[in-house]
Amino acid sequence: MMAPAWSPVQPAVGTKAELIHMACSSVLLEERKRNAILLLAVVQTWPEGDQPSDASLMERILARDSRALELLYDRYARPVYSLVLRIAQQPASAEEIVQDVFLQLWRNAKRYQATRGPLEPWLFTVARNRALDFLRLKREKQRRREDSDDFSILPAAVAGPHPEDALDQARRGEQVRSRMASLPEPQRRALELAFFEGMTHYEVAATMGEPLGTVKSWIRGGLQRLRESLGEGFA
Amino acid sequence: MMDCAQLAPLYEEFALGVLSGEERAELEAHLARSCEICTPGVEKARWVVAHLSHLAPEAQPPASLKRKIMSAVTDSAAATEKQQAPPRRAVFPAWAWAVAAALALVTGYAVRQMQTLTAQLANLQREMKIADLQNRALQDQLDLGRLVAAVMMSPASKQLKLMPANSKMPMVHAYLHPQMGVALTAEQMPSLPASRTLQLWSVPKKGMPLSLAIFHPDTQGQVALVAPVTMPQEEIAALAVSEEPAGGSPQPTSSPTWIAQLK
Repeated sequence: MMAPAWSPVQPAVGTKAELIHMACSSVLLEERKRNAILLLAVVQTWPEGDQPSDASLMERILARDSRALELLYDRYARPVYSLVLRIAQQPASAEEIVQDVFLQLWRNAKRYQATRGPLEPWLFTVARNRALDFLRLKREKQRRREDSDDFSILPAAVAGPHPEDALDQARRGEQVRSRMASLPEPQRRALELAFFEGMTHYEVAATMGEPLGTVKSWIRGGLQRLRESLGEGFA
Repeated sequence: MMDCAQLAPLYEEFALGVLSGEERAELEAHLARSCEICTPGVEKARWVVAHLSHLAPEAQPPASLKRKIMSAVTDSAAATEKQQAPPRRAVFPAWAWAVAAALALVTGYAVRQMQTLTAQLANLQREMKIADLQNRALQDQLDLGRLVAAVMMSPASKQLKLMPANSKMPMVHAYLHPQMGVALTAEQMPSLPASRTLQLWSVPKKGMPLSLAIFHPDTQGQVALVAPVTMPQEEIAALAVSEEPAGGSPQPTSSPTWIAQLK
């Protein structure tokens, strides 16, 4: 039996995806079998050097590659969980909602592909909708139980520029935080009530005890500031 | 009836969900008929509004969540595979059966070879499974390490030193975070018999201690864990660790071996 060429894996050689391919394509031959196991151990513990794009991971999810979902989870679980926890306020419920969002991403990958928007804001939109549904259900106790099991997730299309990489997304998040932090407190609060509590203009005005016109102009101004903070990405 | 130009300034407010009444109904009507101007306008507005998510205070999802999701995905993938591949009768013409029979007669060797390969394949699958389990264990450790580090590094965490009742014992460090719970670290901890365990308690200003976690130092005497804390921080008078029978106790059965008062 010929021994296939085997040399220790150097991180500089090939991409992680190629190594996974090599590991998967190694079959049967005794030496290759050993190599396959070694390679698998190496690639699974090897930190990502070349971050695959969201789009390529979604392609892999369509091909039912669960590792791609895992990578997307590592990338987005934290901001998505933070958002959901802020809305739902209960860690156990937030956990359920986030689980549901990622499972829907896995199950509805085709529907996401159809919208072809950038993934992060799409995930935020879906997670926010789910968390607000949960909040409303919690508030409207008289609603029938079966309704609570039936809030189907219809992913809203989101259109915007695809970020180049995760760093790009992190930078954008930082920009948003710093620009919005400079808004006057009542204006920021009005926006937060609308976004995190799912309130309308009227509800925000009633909650804050401010005139409707003032609240409308605060929210409109806040959204304008947000748009500006997204800068050139929003062409 | 409002036209697209009148509706355009409202796209973001619509995406935010603050519109109501006539304005909302008008825009919904345009979207319902797939208006070529309003539909992409609202999609872009959703992109803008989604970025408000960054205003949520950062929180770390529990490490168990990833495992739950991945195991649900694996289960559903297995179920789908089963559904999509119903047993089917192979369509195999008679002449092919004849050829196959002839080949089988001639190549008994090939059959034996096939059996060996099948056995090797099963072996390979078993070994891959072991490697996968080992990797998951490592991944879990890594996740825990990251989580402990996140709580320790967070500026919102309050650092506490749990002093030992016995001065020969090492000190235990705790980091209490308002959302992420409490991270506990210690080194050179004495080993415990299998019948005993350590239990972490939050001691409220009023009422009975509440169990936060049951744990054992590892073989190197190290402890690293993160436990959720449901009690508001201002209601906690102290954190304490006591030695309890294996499986833990509903209430402490011995005096605290380590304790830190909250100021």
